[in-house]
Amino acid sequence: MLGIIEALINGILMGSIYGLTAVGLTLIFGVMKVINFAHGSILMVGMFAAYWFVILTGWNPYFAIPVVVPLLFWFGYYMQSFIIKPIFEAEKDVREPITVIIVTTGIWYVLDNLALMIFGAEFRVAKTSVTGQVFEFYEMYFLLPKVIGAGITMVCGIYLYWFLKHSRMGKAIRATSLDREAASLMGIKQAKIYNVAFGLGSACCGMAACVLIPFYYVYPTVGVPFDIKAFIIVVLGGLGSIPGAILGGIIVGIIENVGAQFMAATWTELLLYGVFLFVLLVKPSGLFGQKHDY
Amino acid sequence: MKQLLNQNPKILLISALLLGALFILPLVVTSPALMQIFILIILYAYFTSTWNFVGGFAGVLPLGHSAFIGIGAYTSTVLFQTFGISPWLGMIVGGLLAAMMGVVIGLPTLKLRGAYFALATIAVGEGVRVLVENVKQVGPLMINGPSGISIKLTENSFSAFQFDSKLPYYYIILAMLLIVLLLTYFMMNSKIGYYLAAGGEEPEAAEALGIKVSRYRLIAMAISCFLAGLGGTFYAQLMLYIYPKSILGLDLSFEIAFIALIGGRGTILGPVLGALLLRPVSELTRIYFGSMLPGLHLVIFGLILIVVMRYYPKGLVEPVKILLNKLFINRLGKQGGPDGTDSAEKAD
Repeated sequence: MLGIIEALINGILMGSIYGLTAVGLTLIFGVMKVINFAHGSILMVGMFAAYWFVILTGWNPYFAIPVVVPLLFWFGYYMQSFIIKPIFEAEKDVREPITVIIVTTGIWYVLDNLALMIFGAEFRVAKTSVTGQVFEFYEMYFLLPKVIGAGITMVCGIYLYWFLKHSRMGKAIRATSLDREAASLMGIKQAKIYNVAFGLGSACCGMAACVLIPFYYVYPTVGVPFDIKAFIIVVLGGLGSIPGAILGGIIVGIIENVGAQFMAATWTELLLYGVFLFVLLVKPSGLFGQKHDY
Repeated sequence: MKQLLNQNPKILLISALLLGALFILPLVVTSPALMQIFILIILYAYFTSTWNFVGGFAGVLPLGHSAFIGIGAYTSTVLFQTFGISPWLGMIVGGLLAAMMGVVIGLPTLKLRGAYFALATIAVGEGVRVLVENVKQVGPLMINGPSGISIKLTENSFSAFQFDSKLPYYYIILAMLLIVLLLTYFMMNSKIGYYLAAGGEEPEAAEALGIKVSRYRLIAMAISCFLAGLGGTFYAQLMLYIYPKSILGLDLSFEIAFIALIGGRGTILGPVLGALLLRPVSELTRIYFGSMLPGLHLVIFGLILIVVMRYYPKGLVEPVKILLNKLFINRLGKQGGPDGTDSAEKAD
């Protein structure tokens, strides 16, 4: 019994980190109606940045946050404005910008394989001061970096939610995601909103990368499993919904960790795909999706 | 068929010449290694053409086609290994299974926004790979998990789909490609093709006109998956060794989608052009840089894709057509003189 509770809590911890990456994905989708397939690769870029920061300075990995998160924000911002924007504008009136989606997969392949060429395929671990430390709670053991990471991602998620609800920029982003034309008539500069949304989405990945570094391997295709999980999560929670993404992330984390108590870890992956197809079949709008979004 | 022959006679002449060249190519190229490259180019053109039924005409983006190719390959191989059933028969069974799988996925997702379909196909593609990698055997059927299956070698025999030389493989895949291209042509000019085109551009408007968009998309999906399954069997018999990483999973799915988009999706010759341009790139980089820079060909693919999408969002088929028109058709017209059909040319 204790084992299952431990797995449950571990699932929530890991799931909240999945949730943060999915929040970035869902934010970009909500605004641009484009699924950013390069999302996992952006996470990979963030993880390599955080890895080298930790290796070169030898500081606590959480000090990397103020460096990596802005870095990734500008990375996403300029990637959108230089690569995606011109293609997006050509297809602005199409309801489903397929060309843009496929370009993001192009970016995925370029980034992943560039990383493979530069850093090689080996798995790297950043030995930090929190790596391997265990946190004990009623005879249950949790990795300390996971607990800290989950805490940080929760704070981020709540802040992001507040930012979108109450700040001026957040309101502009929400207005754009509801109705592009009406938002531009109100004087909102669409191009800038897209850049900022992409930047914020990437910054979410940067944050997730920093909290993953102390306990996760870094390798060039590390983004792919996170990418696929993020896709499952956003469908589970409803495309475009931020609370849905966080809750979906936690559900995926729980399925993965609790499932591993009963079956081999590779089979839990299949269980995830099964849940994904089931949700598509039964309630395609997900937990919090809006009807106009699907 | 009439429509096909009613084209500009110069275009017909050029296509006939090209076709003839393809048929006598093996007389000129005798090296098996080079032959293998040509076979792979045609095979990828075939895969991409099957993808084109859904990705090109139905206006959605399937990103998990390797699942159907893999189902075809594994079905025929497993049937041949366990029961000795000829791969030709296994090919049909595999194709039918792949089509069934495609319908099961398409049924819930083809009604939704394209983004859902893209996500669902990726998830299914990965799901099938993970499943195959985790299964050692089902009853008497050996799957062998990640290590894959090597097909029992037999004598040079047609019924076992194994040949000593590359020549039969070349003609088989060429015939398969031509059949798929013809099918594509007929579909484009049929009721289904028009319905799909209408539904791909404006699903709501098409629905309002009484077209059941998702039903026709489902038909296209079933045809596409069936043909992809057939191609999978061919791949298995060509390589005589299949393992999940080679035939299932994201890399193959994306390579197909990239070829289609770079060549020109929704056109008949786009996939052929794309395969003709991209396959040599991946073969050459694999030969010369394979050990040093393992992912180079995918970086090149990605970059080409981004650049092509930036300047020719409809794919390279359009600019190439214009170029060919300038280079050949106009000149032929001038030589042909009075019997040339385009009057604009004479007015020059």
